This record gives sequence, structure tokens and C-alpha cells, in this order.
Amino acid sequence: MEVRNLSHRYETSDRPLVVLDGLSFSIPPGGYVALTGASGAGKSTLLSILGGLEPPQSGHVHVGGHDLHALGGDELAAYRRSTVGFVFQHFGLLDTLTASENVEVALALAGARAGARRRRARELLAAVGLADRAAHRPGALSGGERQRVAIARALANRSRLVLADEPTGNLDERAATQVLDLLEQLPAERGCTFVVVTHDRTVAGRAPSRLHLAEGRFSTP
Amino acid sequence: MTWADAVLFAARGLVRRRSRAVLTLVAVALAAALLTALMMITETGRSRVLDQLSRGGPLAGIRVDAAVDDAEVDRVVNLPDVAAVVPIATTRLLVTADGAAVAAGKGAGEDQAVPAVPGGTDLEGIVGVDFRQADNLPITVLAGRLPEAQTATEVVVDQRWLERRGVAEGEEAGVVGSEVMLGAVREGAGGRHDPLAVRWTRAIVVGAVAQEAAPGGVLAPLPVVLDARAWTGGGEGATYEGLFVVARGLNQVDEARQQLAGLGLPSEAPENLIASVLRYLHVVELVLASIGAIALVIAALGIANALLAAVRERRREIGVLKAIGARDRDVRRIFLLEAVALGLGGGLAGTVLGWAIARGVGAVVNDYLSAQGLAGVTVALPMAVLSGGILGSAVLALLAGTVPAVRAARLPARDAMGEG
Repeated sequence: MEVRNLSHRYETSDRPLVVLDGLSFSIPPGGYVALTGASGAGKSTLLSILGGLEPPQSGHVHVGGHDLHALGGDELAAYRRSTVGFVFQHFGLLDTLTASENVEVALALAGARAGARRRRARELLAAVGLADRAAHRPGALSGGERQRVAIARALANRSRLVLADEPTGNLDERAATQVLDLLEQLPAERGCTFVVVTHDRTVAGRAPSRLHLAEGRFSTP
Repeated sequence: MTWADAVLFAARGLVRRRSRAVLTLVAVALAAALLTALMMITETGRSRVLDQLSRGGPLAGIRVDAAVDDAEVDRVVNLPDVAAVVPIATTRLLVTADGAAVAAGKGAGEDQAVPAVPGGTDLEGIVGVDFRQADNLPITVLAGRLPEAQTATEVVVDQRWLERRGVAEGEEAGVVGSEVMLGAVREGAGGRHDPLAVRWTRAIVVGAVAQEAAPGGVLAPLPVVLDARAWTGGGEGATYEGLFVVARGLNQVDEARQQLAGLGLPSEAPENLIASVLRYLHVVELVLASIGAIALVIAALGIANALLAAVRERRREIGVLKAIGARDRDVRRIFLLEAVALGLGGGLAGTVLGWAIARGVGAVVNDYLSAQGLAGVTVALPMAVLSGGILGSAVLALLAGTVPAVRAARLPARDAMGEG
């Protein structure tokens, strides 16, 4: 991941609000980085740009050979399908679908056939310790279990970049530890780059590399 | 995302918001029911009115009052907008109905009550037609039956002729089976009738009719009139005094008349009256259909409202779908499928309900008609109403769902991140 001179701002009724101001950094394949900062510092904006949820306004963002600045709507969707896996604070599970179906959705969007989807979902849920919860809907799962389903979904299409936005923000300490343990295995076991946004010092402290954002720029915490 | 996956998503979306979906479905169903019932009732009324009108002859009938021969009949038959042609021959015969007649197959003087036409002898107009084509003529049987086409001894009498002889309306059946004598008077010098040269033919009145085929009190098979006319010496020139022409349809009456005019044949048709009635019926249809359509549009707005609310509520879910790779068109497809499902379901249920309502109204109307001694109506569900009710609802729902679907598809993927 290579980011050069990335700037981003939002138009408000008063004046443009600069949230990212000329950021430059790089993360090697298999890297594990914690992104910290106060609320409004630009963490989530940076994460959504890296994940292709919104295009960068200026600067260069290259991820896994993709120049995100050059990608249009469908191409960004394809980038998100093939390259990125998201883990949200709110889990982001579709509550009308079972745990297995939630994982299968990501595979369905990538065009996988029904049989292959079911097999892959079963395999991933087993990997996160939820083989016996595959047929349960999110409402019947604990917070930690929901987040593990979300992790399984993020890995469904063998994503090379996993982006987690406050993944333990809604979890108790025990569930948070389980989830972090699971996420931290990703770089080593699956070779993917892992970026976690957090303002929890404990979570940030577990990452080998940390970037601190303040008023759109990197700074020392 | 495949269509099957999109259908699954749409179905789950509706099930999750079950109450709202059911209410929206009910609104669509009620509107479709109203539209279906109104259209069925209108169609039934239209059929009834046209049925009544057609008792005066084919709705697309045209009268040609001009002398024609067989060659001209052939030319008329071959006109592109003509469906049928019935030649009409007329003559004037003495008609004697003095009450001393005999019933068919019975000898005079037998001890049996014989119906009778009130007496008197008139020189009467006789209309000769081919009764095999009676369905194409403006003839309504009031009592008895029509003559056999090839017989020379059966006639029917016209209602107005009976009125002139004092037979009251509703008593026409009393003359069926009576005898009349038809006297063909040979023309003498100067075209005057020779009272000493009359050929009498005995005929049985087999029915009483109301007819607009041609002026004349008695209708007889065509050969009878042609033969009598030949004997009287009136058979010179054209074979027939007129034609009754049936156009291929009501909308072809004008064209058929123009084609007849091209052959030099003047014509008249009652289509102006029928067209006026149809125009009024059409206005009624439009008004009722508009009421139903307005209801359906309101229901469609309900669909749009429900889906817009769903889009608002599901912003983050839509964002998540996009975050895991859904394209705009995938999201749009899911919402359009939800709209179509509501429209199809509501349309189907509403059409069945509308059919039941129309049948109920039909039953009430039939009770009333029966009490009045009138024939009942048959309430049918035309295929156009059936398909229009279901498919129309689905299409309208699809249109109503377009704005919410487009709005959902345009939601930024960043909404997946939530407010934080």
C-alpha cells in the first residue's frame, strides 16, 4: 500500500473542512498497522478511502496494484470485492440472513456458485470457531460471535487487505480479546495486510506499527 | 449478483418489514380490486347494451335501397369491408286474412280451434328474403318462428301490420298458425292491375316479427316473392329492390359505405346511433377506469413511500452491501424486485377480490332484473381485465419503485461506516 500526498475535505455550510491533509505513508504486504486519533481526526475517512468506499480527492493511493484515483464506480466495487475485507464496529451483518448466508453474500457478489459458496462459508465459520452457529441469524448471536462472522465474511474472497474500524468498540473485554487474537493472526496466516482503526490504547498497543492522526496529519501521540 | 440472489434479498427485505409490506400489499390489492370490479361491471353493462342494440339486427348492418341484380350483388360481396350480403326483393300482393283460415296440415272445416288474423283484404307490401341468412337481418321474432327458406307456404307477419289489424302488442302469438291468402295480380295494359287475373296462394303464418329489413307487412321466402313478381309482370329490370349489407365490424361501417358508394349504391346505416351509444359507454368506462386507476396510482405512491422509508432505514445495510462489493445496479435490482413483488402480489390478490366483488354485484343486479321479469346478466372476467389488473399493478409498482431504487443505488458506500 502506497499513499502519497493524500488530501481530503468535506464541504460544510461555513467552509471546507479539511480532514486529511497531505498524508504520505506505505504499508508492506502482510503489514499490521494501528491507526489512532481522536474523534474527527480523519481515521474513518482514511479507512474508507483505502477501502474504496469513496475515491480520493487528491494525491495517489495505490493498493495491490490498483490506482484508486483512476477507478470508477463499478471498478471500485470490483476492487472492494476482490481486494478488501471490512470489519465494522457495528458488525455490518445483514440481520435477515443467517451467519452462513452473511458470509455467502460476499461470495455471491463475486460470482461464486451456490455449492462453492456454502463450502467456503462453512470452512470460514469453522476457522473463526462458529461452525455450529452457521444457521443462526445475527440476532441470536453475541457481539463477539457477530464480529467473528464479520471477520469470516471479510476473508471470504481471500482479501489481501483487511480494514477494521473499531472492531472491539462494541465488545466486552473477553470477546474483544478473542476478536483481536483472530484478526492479528491474519497477516501471518493468510498473508494479508491488516489496518485497524481504534482509539483504544490497548488495541493500538498490540500492533507492531502505529500511525496517529491529528487534524488530518500524522503526529506523535 | 445473480437474479436469484437478488430475489432472495428482496424477499428477506419484505419479510423483515412484514407489517409495512402487508399494509402496502393491502393498499395495492384494494386498488386493483376496485379497478377490476369497475372494469368488469362496465364491460358487463356494455355487453348488455350492445346485446339489446343487436336485437334490431347486426350492429354493423347497412341498408342499400337501390335496385340491384345478381352481378352487383357479387360485386358487393367482394368488397373488402363487407362480411355478408342479403338480397331483398319486394312486391305488392293482395293479402286476405278473413278468419276462415286453416292451420297448417289441417283441412278446412275440421272441428278444431284455429287462430285467425282479423279479416280484410289489403294490397300489402311483401318482403322476400333468404331466411338462411336471417341472423344477418334486422328481424326479431316476437312469436312463433321464421319460415323455412325453401318453402312456398310459410310467411311471417310484421308487428306494424298486426297493429293495423288491431292485434295488440303482446298478443302476436295468437296469429301463429293462422292462414292468409296471397293474391298476385297480373298487371294489365298501362300498368293497371287486372282484377280478373289473380293467382291465389295459401300460406300459413308461422310467426310474428319486428323487422327493419324493408317496408312491408308480410315476410316470405325469397323464391315466393320472385315467383309472384314474375307472374304479375313486375319482374323486369333488376332482380332485387335492395340489399342488407353487414360490414366486418362497427369500425368498418364507414369504409363499407364508401365502397358501396363507389359502386353507385346509396346506403344508410344506424351506426350513428350505435356509435353515439358506444361513445357514451366509452365515457362511462373512462370515468370508472379513471377512478380505479387513481386508486392504483395512490397505492403505487404507497409503494414508493414504503420503499423510500426502507431506503432511509437501510442506509447502513446498503452501504455494507456496497462495501462488500455490490454494484449500484445490484442494489437497484433488489429494490425494484421488492416493488414488483408488492405490485404483483397486490395485483393478484386485488384481481381475485375484484372478481368476487363484481360477481356479488352481478348477483344483486340479477335478483333485481329477475324480479322485474328481465333476463339476467353474466359477469365475466375478460382476459384484458385479468392481465391488466395483475400486470398493470406490477408495472405501476415498478415505476413507483424506480425513484427509491435509484436513490438506494446512489447512496454512498461510505454509509457502511455509520455515523462514527
